Amino acid sequence: MRHKQVISVAFLLTGVAAMSFAGPSKPAGGSVSGKVTYEGTPAKQKPIDMSKEPSCAKQYTTPPTTETVVTGPGNSLADVVVYISAGAPDEPPPSQAVTFDQKGCRYIPHVLAFQTNQELKVVNDDQTSHNIHPLAKVNHEWNKSQPPGTPPLSEKFAQAEFIPVKCNVHPWMHGNFAVLKNSHYAVSKEDGSFTLPNLPAGKYTVTAWQESYGTQTQDVTISGSESKSVNFVFKAKPY
Amino acid sequence: MTLSVPVRRGFSSITSSIAFAALLAALMVADSPSAGAIPAFARKYGMPCSACHEAWPKLNNFGQTFKDNGYQLGNDRDAPIFQQPAYWPIALRITPHWHRESTSATDITNPATTDPVTGLPATTEGQLTTHGFDLTGMDMLTAGTLAKNISFLLVPSADETGAFHFESASVRFDNLLHTPWLNVKVGKFELDNIVSEKRILTLSGQGGFYQGYHFQPVTEDTSLFTFGIGDNQLGAELSGHSRNDYTRYSVALLSSNDGNVDLPNGHGYDTFLTFSQAFQAGSLGLQRVGAFAYVGRAPTYHTLVAGDSALGDGFGQKSFTRAGFFGLWYYKKLDFTTMYIHGSDSAFLGTNTPSYMDLPLGARKPTWNVGTIETHYTWNPQLILINRYELVRMSQQALPGLPGNLGDVDVLTFGYRYYPFISSRAGFAFHNEYSILRQRGVSPINGVDVTSSSLFLGFDFIF
Amino acid sequence: MRAYKLGLNWMFLAVLALLAIPSLALAQQEPNSQQGSAQPATQPAPAQQAATPAPAAMPARDVHQESHLGKLTGHSESGRKLYFRFCWGCHGFRGDGNGENAPYLNILPRNFVAATFKCRSTPTGTLPTDEDLYNSLGRGLNNSNMPSWISLTDQQRADMVAFIKTFSPRWQTEKSGDPINVPAEPALTLQSIKHGQELFQKLECWKCHGQEGRGDGPSASTLTDSNDQPIRPYNFAAGSRFKCGVSNRDLYKIFLTGVDGTPMPSFGDVVKPEEAWDLVHYLRTLQVRQKSPELTLWMSTPEGAAIVSAQRISGTPTGSGINQ
Repeated sequence: MRHKQVISVAFLLTGVAAMSFAGPSKPAGGSVSGKVTYEGTPAKQKPIDMSKEPSCAKQYTTPPTTETVVTGPGNSLADVVVYISAGAPDEPPPSQAVTFDQKGCRYIPHVLAFQTNQELKVVNDDQTSHNIHPLAKVNHEWNKSQPPGTPPLSEKFAQAEFIPVKCNVHPWMHGNFAVLKNSHYAVSKEDGSFTLPNLPAGKYTVTAWQESYGTQTQDVTISGSESKSVNFVFKAKPY
Repeated sequence: MTLSVPVRRGFSSITSSIAFAALLAALMVADSPSAGAIPAFARKYGMPCSACHEAWPKLNNFGQTFKDNGYQLGNDRDAPIFQQPAYWPIALRITPHWHRESTSATDITNPATTDPVTGLPATTEGQLTTHGFDLTGMDMLTAGTLAKNISFLLVPSADETGAFHFESASVRFDNLLHTPWLNVKVGKFELDNIVSEKRILTLSGQGGFYQGYHFQPVTEDTSLFTFGIGDNQLGAELSGHSRNDYTRYSVALLSSNDGNVDLPNGHGYDTFLTFSQAFQAGSLGLQRVGAFAYVGRAPTYHTLVAGDSALGDGFGQKSFTRAGFFGLWYYKKLDFTTMYIHGSDSAFLGTNTPSYMDLPLGARKPTWNVGTIETHYTWNPQLILINRYELVRMSQQALPGLPGNLGDVDVLTFGYRYYPFISSRAGFAFHNEYSILRQRGVSPINGVDVTSSSLFLGFDFIF
Repeated sequence: MRAYKLGLNWMFLAVLALLAIPSLALAQQEPNSQQGSAQPATQPAPAQQAATPAPAAMPARDVHQESHLGKLTGHSESGRKLYFRFCWGCHGFRGDGNGENAPYLNILPRNFVAATFKCRSTPTGTLPTDEDLYNSLGRGLNNSNMPSWISLTDQQRADMVAFIKTFSPRWQTEKSGDPINVPAEPALTLQSIKHGQELFQKLECWKCHGQEGRGDGPSASTLTDSNDQPIRPYNFAAGSRFKCGVSNRDLYKIFLTGVDGTPMPSFGDVVKPEEAWDLVHYLRTLQVRQKSPELTLWMSTPEGAAIVSAQRISGTPTGSGINQ
């Protein structure tokens, strides 16, 4: 355990922390990659009526849809957080901040993963007031107003937790924070793919979290610098 | 010490023997404690009984504040519009129990014996003991708000036989001129007694009431003149209190009928005043002291129509007064209620003399003093131990020849109430109690001291 | 005859035993005996966290908390007794706001385990001060089932505050937030009211509270609190008391710290102190049924008088402020 901590601290010292969301950089060990898919029929995403907020509505030619399940070609599932839930040591936060943007009365990205105590910047790019209301249960629940033109809010979360985020003024706005304990995580892309690079040899539990379908876990053992493939298949429910 | 006489059950004179106890007992007949707990409120607000009651039915200061506010918590949610339409503000209370009553000296007529003088069955003095399963009357308590700052209390009460009367029926207007210092109540209601007899924690025949609230000298004929501060009275009351209820006052104008409907005593008004002040004593909690005075009038004779007294026919009103002070003292789990009352009746009332007649030679006002100390040990909101000692001492007899201590009372009552559960839906208590009373020189034939005792084992429930 | 008497005595004893013994045995139970021992305050892995909400930690007997209010010191041991007399019916044995009455309340009782409190002088997301909790206890929360506990003693309320702080481990690891600075209230001017009116537009308060402050803005019908219960924005025109105090100073704090657990956000980062007072002055004029210097001044202008009289006429039906 202590050994692993030393290794992970070494990562940070050598400036590899940026990999946390920038994807693979210099391979320093094994990796886990794969694809997240679904079987069955996912709930149909509904178009959002933004007519109550004309400044946002006019930004869209066709109304955007809700994002509780985001699918791609070949039954792929996007916006799934894949992370090492056991086997990897907790890591101190990287110095770089992550940004959560409010644009066109939507959250970009819809799912934002970052580490405990990592700086989170919340930006309002709209011409309307938003309130950012993370419905935290383990962390502190807070709720802040951000009128247009105000500087980004800077926040941190101390505990690992999946936190739904909403804007009470615009009830359709819905996003998620995934606050994680280590840097080994990825959010699946539109094609469902993900990669967790730079994993030292060891035994890990890989967890995939989807906001509507919950979690799935798989155990994986990495020896040397091998690349393991792990795929997740969620059972989609139409309702 | 006591003469034991075999007593047969079903003895016809039992009722008349018990009537002897009317000295004290006229009081308790109608006195099932009434305005007690009202789970209708607990249900309305979802609070446990213990929030408002020190131990049901005795109120704590939070419950007293709620009551003084016209049954309102004051969150703009008290009016009926905020309740489910199905909400029905009613609660029923009844107390099935087993009890044993014993009195050391009463007049017993034994048909098997013959009095040599009269030739009738002989009447001797002896001990009388009865016991068995029994029921108190049933109280239906309905109370609540009619609108913001208008509230009501209605207590139709049935005695054990099912005969009804209105124990209490009043309407209240609260926070007049937007101040808690002005509230008006009209109807039949309990006087504003902080030491409430309707919320008394004892239920037995001898111990279920406060002597000080009912005592009358033995020379008085209680069929002509009955009064008890503990009785619900008919009238109008102006009351007020500070927001936290630490300071309270009330002034009541009452009809001189001791709460009996249809104006049996004709005209005449009584006045009742009370004031109390609570103060904080650090970790000991809230302490309260207060005083009260009742100035009343009662008729000394009634007109007779066809040998019977008709309605509204009391004449020759003479006055009586009751005045006292009290304290509620808290010390950790112990609390003490102390009360002193001074009573004084007109010599006419004291000697049952109609005002148009001359008083008997040397007749004067009967006066007396009553001391009460009641101790509670509240182990937790579910268990309370109760002990009360009261003594009544005549300070002046109505007639000069009477022994100074005639009618003096000592009564000791102790027991406990255990609430196996506490909820906001119903109240339930195991109630076990023993009370023993001695009154000086009042046995019906020999004029010796009479000792009476009550043992009460039962369940008290309200839902 | 003798045998008969004996029988009676036995019956008497039997009745006594029947009534007395079970009750004495039961008397050993305390109302709080339903509590278990404390659960360790573990940090659940995110995976578990997503599936189940935070486990309701139970107040441990060995957790001691104090509250400090001027000269008063509250102790959780004393507060525990008061809690299990007064509070558990709504807030529950575990302080999780899930008391036996909770299902019947349309604003759910506070969950002390989550330690999210509405009325604070401290920034959003932080723990309130002892004084904030103490004041809430004394004040009650208007338009909810939470009554005022002013009829208890100061010491008792202080003790209750201390006990409430045993439910969440946050009180052991964190300090209360620093109370926001409330500068002295500047003199009331018409200019101040008008600037407040501009801010009301700019900050889009009307999105929920409505242009006339009637709690009927375009988003009002969609609002839910953090328990997913529908909740209405405050209706200024109905004129009921604010939840978190009635003074201008209280109003200032309410929108600068937010009402945590509800849709009302904090404006602490976006409103300057002097501007905040202007907003306070304007908000008072929306309370058209409540006398205030602000309303009087506002009505002295033709513009203000026209607005206020129009608002009074349209009025609000009784009970309109139910879920504020």
